[in-house]
Amino acid sequence: MSRRYDSRTTIFSPEGRLYQVEYALEAISHAGTALGILATDGIVLAAERKVTSKLLEQDTSAEKLYILNDNMICAVAGMTADANILINYARTQAQRYLLTYNNDIPCEQLVRRLCDLKQGYTQHGGLRPFGVSFIYAGFDNQRQFQLYQSNPSGNYGGWKATSVGANNASAQSLLKQDYNEECSLKEACELAVKVLSKTMDSTKLSSEKIEFATVGRTKSGTVYHHLWAAEEIDALLKEHGLAKKDSEGVEESWKPGESV
Amino acid sequence: MVGKDCVAIACDLRLGLQALTVSNNFPKIFSYGSQVHLGLTGLATDVSSVSELFRYKVNMYRLREERDISPQTFANLVSSSLYERRFGPWFVSPVVAGINQTDGKPFICGFDSIGCIDFAKDFIVSGTASDQLFGTCEGLWEPNLGPEDLFETISQALLNAVDRDALSGWGAHVYIIEKDKVTKRLLKGRQD
Amino acid sequence: MRGATILKANEDKTRQLNKHTLMAYVGEAGDTIQFAEYIQANIQLYSMRNSTDLTPSETSSFVRTELARSLRSRSPYTVNLLLGGFDPRTSKPELYWIDYLASCAPVPYAAHGYAQYYCLSILDKHHHPDISLEQGMKILRMCTDELKRRLPIDFKGVVVKVVDGEGIREVEYEDGGQVLAP
Repeated sequence: MSRRYDSRTTIFSPEGRLYQVEYALEAISHAGTALGILATDGIVLAAERKVTSKLLEQDTSAEKLYILNDNMICAVAGMTADANILINYARTQAQRYLLTYNNDIPCEQLVRRLCDLKQGYTQHGGLRPFGVSFIYAGFDNQRQFQLYQSNPSGNYGGWKATSVGANNASAQSLLKQDYNEECSLKEACELAVKVLSKTMDSTKLSSEKIEFATVGRTKSGTVYHHLWAAEEIDALLKEHGLAKKDSEGVEESWKPGESV
Repeated sequence: MVGKDCVAIACDLRLGLQALTVSNNFPKIFSYGSQVHLGLTGLATDVSSVSELFRYKVNMYRLREERDISPQTFANLVSSSLYERRFGPWFVSPVVAGINQTDGKPFICGFDSIGCIDFAKDFIVSGTASDQLFGTCEGLWEPNLGPEDLFETISQALLNAVDRDALSGWGAHVYIIEKDKVTKRLLKGRQD
Repeated sequence: MRGATILKANEDKTRQLNKHTLMAYVGEAGDTIQFAEYIQANIQLYSMRNSTDLTPSETSSFVRTELARSLRSRSPYTVNLLLGGFDPRTSKPELYWIDYLASCAPVPYAAHGYAQYYCLSILDKHHHPDISLEQGMKILRMCTDELKRRLPIDFKGVVVKVVDGEGIREVEYEDGGQVLAP
């Protein structure tokens, strides 16, 4: 039945669905989890990095967290190649706005420009939609700290805490349970690692498997964003007792009959 | 102006239409990343346009490369961007000053309006008072000045040159760039 | 009264861009209104799309960018502008001087055209930072008196608008009568 309506993005099925968009969402639900939590004095983004093979050269830079401009960062879930195109587009748009108005682009406007591009691929024929969901964290003078999420359909919304990617339903319910509106950035970081530790397949976390970034303000009031170094992530994990002990290798924790 | 492990760059603050002064708070030095500075003289509209254009290009460079631009790379970017407009140039003559973070060596250079680079070991001048600046710099500059001496030298060179030019002056900005810090000082100067 | 040098004596050469920003323009007859209304429409479009107003400094950058683009086009606009605005976020008034070459500078006081040769020296002498509106109006009176006295063409008076926290309003500006040489 569906075969007739899913080959083109532009065609609705009789039930009023766009299959290609739903397939894109499906692709994302297999990608590593990413989550964002809004705190009173900042925002934390955290993402699961999937280590496919130990022969693979570990990328020194982040592969799931990107800087968009001086006061905005984002987390990616989905196809990295598609994400690169969109991130480059977002950076260009942010700089173009800066060029015209001599001021950083308000967060929602940047999210909207990106979503307008994504939407185009659900309406104009012949191409597939971008297989990426984003979580954006940013600051602007008008609305202070903001957290947004967008998906391949071009929909976006503002959130207090949200997640995308694999196990996002369980991550979402954990966030709903434990989120506290008055939390500080430090407490938000704690919540982020706790949620990740429960939703990720491996029981013990390490800096190789997750990425962390925060947006905040310095004492003088200037906005900063910070992609965490491996040592900082390990220190955070250690503090909350979630770090992998040195003796426990990946191989040792594997039990027969369990899929890796 | 080059010193020992430091460089200085300075500009006046006047914006004028021929003899009429419109503003005495129009800085002509712009920073790109922590160490690289660009001075722009010439047509005011192009000073703004070009400085904003390089802000765009350098920000994109930084995001893509995940590091700051070096002064040498920036100089080549300036050169090629200006030559892009070979037959309808930006009416500016830029000066670049900075310290290369990898080897810690100071770097300065100047350009004409279509991007020909002029490398120098001592000093670069540009603008309506360039003739006067050549004189004061030739007279005052000496090799291996420390940051404080370099500040004094560049300030005196600039103030005395602009006092001999009717179209320059009205205050000055001076930047002293060292490997790990940049000091910006404001000079009041003559306001007449 | 009309003549060779005067076609209309009470033209309002300002456009309100948004609640807190006003733009005054002089220059080539056709260009001025065309450009001013183009800017006005775009600033209003921004307010509608984003349900927030551009600040005066953002507006000045936008105007400058548009004028700079026009400068290097086949038919540039010959328009000189003054942009006055009140930034509700910082609660500070701002003034921008922009000429047809798209040079833009934030200034404490400004004038365009032939009048600036007479006015700038008066403003230079009497203007101080943080003067009140009342003192500002006094200096304005000195400027218009000087123009009456010395401008080669017959000076037909001014339209005066005040931009502050409440928005933009036109104020009554009486013609002070005959001005004698000091």
